[in-house]
Amino acid sequence: MLAAVGIKVINFNFHLIGVLQLIFQTLASTISPPFRIKDIFKQLNFVAVESAPIVIFCVSFAAVVTIIESSFHMKIVVQNDALVPGFASLLILRELGAVVSALLITSRVGAGLAAEVGSMQVTEQVDALKMLGIDPVRFIVVPRFIACLLGGFLLSILANIVCLICAMLVSQFSLGYTFGSFIVGMKSFVHFQDLVFASIKGASFGAVIPIFSCYYGFKCKAGAEGVGLATTNSVVTTSVAIIVIDFILSYIFSFFY
Amino acid sequence: MLNAIGKGIEFIGGCTLFVGEIIHSGFRGKFSTHEIAEQTWRVSMQSLSTTALAGFFVGAIMTVQFTMQIQQFGALGYLGGLSTSGTIREIGPLLIAFMLSGKVGAFTSAELGTMKVTEQLDAIRCLGSSPIREIILPRYIAIILSSFFLLTIGLFMSIGGGLLLGMFFSGINYEEYLRHIPTIVAWPSILIGLFKCLVFSIILASICTYRGYTTTGGAKGVGQAVVNTAVATMIGIVVADWVTSYISEAIQNFFLGA
Repeated sequence: MLAAVGIKVINFNFHLIGVLQLIFQTLASTISPPFRIKDIFKQLNFVAVESAPIVIFCVSFAAVVTIIESSFHMKIVVQNDALVPGFASLLILRELGAVVSALLITSRVGAGLAAEVGSMQVTEQVDALKMLGIDPVRFIVVPRFIACLLGGFLLSILANIVCLICAMLVSQFSLGYTFGSFIVGMKSFVHFQDLVFASIKGASFGAVIPIFSCYYGFKCKAGAEGVGLATTNSVVTTSVAIIVIDFILSYIFSFFY
Repeated sequence: MLNAIGKGIEFIGGCTLFVGEIIHSGFRGKFSTHEIAEQTWRVSMQSLSTTALAGFFVGAIMTVQFTMQIQQFGALGYLGGLSTSGTIREIGPLLIAFMLSGKVGAFTSAELGTMKVTEQLDAIRCLGSSPIREIILPRYIAIILSSFFLLTIGLFMSIGGGLLLGMFFSGINYEEYLRHIPTIVAWPSILIGLFKCLVFSIILASICTYRGYTTTGGAKGVGQAVVNTAVATMIGIVVADWVTSYISEAIQNFFLGA
């Protein structure tokens, strides 16, 4: 029992050091030339443009659920649901839009990156890059890092807008609030900081994704099982990391309202 | 665009037929309960730590957010009841399903995909047995069973996280926090949470076993299967969340006459 815990702790520290090393290498390569603009745009297309339909689809369903649930709870506590538009739009802007879109990007882009980098590692393409004198971090990780950071930022804004519009539609049809009253209710609760903090959250969640995916991709063991395992690990670690970072950011931002 | 929609419909149809086959194989011959218990243990232990960690932080996030919202109305006493009720009805099952889809769904489809591309499933069929009954049925049932255990753990951890942040962040003591949980959380809420958990785990198990079973093309194919599973389960879970919310709302209104 104790030995198992000890092995887990040592493994955790080992992973932690590896991830920190990758983060510092990536940041150092990000701010120094040469910049690979073409690659960045190619990755941005994969991250942001191709994920946009899924994010829009899922977020609009999430908005419906949010409105229904907050109306249920408001009816219990204050006996009517007049404040639902304000509360629901706050919840969407502060938590839901950024977190749901980040988890969706994780499952699509993060898993895709881990599988891609893992396949490169297994078929010795990463070693070939090293042989040619090319830094694999600069060549593989940095374009994806920048693309995911920008993509997370853009997608969180898109998700928030879509989510709010769907929330308006739902409250019109199922609760009977017009668009005007929804916007008035929203205006009395939502401040400009909420928008800024939502985009900061989106960008930082986006930045986490490629780091873990590429870390597990580089660590990938040979064979079909290795690639599958690398993908699984990267998705799980990224999801937990997003939730933990979300908590930390929410806690910090709560002092600025 | 049309192509993608056609592929989606094809996926749903194939998945439904596959689930029918699994259920049929469960009634046709005897299956080992030992294997089911072993798989349930494995799945539960594998995702226990991630679920507990995620549950703790989600409870903490809910408390921080609710505190900022209801502090303006002086209704901080309701904090414990509100955040617990929100977690049990909505966020808890959704979160467990997301975590399971990352951990168990992706792992199962990777495992089955590896078995498929290394022709182990064909070997089982050669030995005169059915791979669906021997390999897939125990995993299918195990995912559904263990999701309930993990839901329980996750909910308790989230109550713990909420309680801790309620004491240190919002400044209300634990008696105040716990006092309103029984008044706001009613039996229908708990039943809705369990119903949602059941629906999500069925969707998750169906998609990951189907996608693993139909993997083709080596190591790259396995990676592709895992990515597809993760995306498909996420979409399925979000849509199912909406459907179950509407159904449970309708049932609740019907019985309580609200």
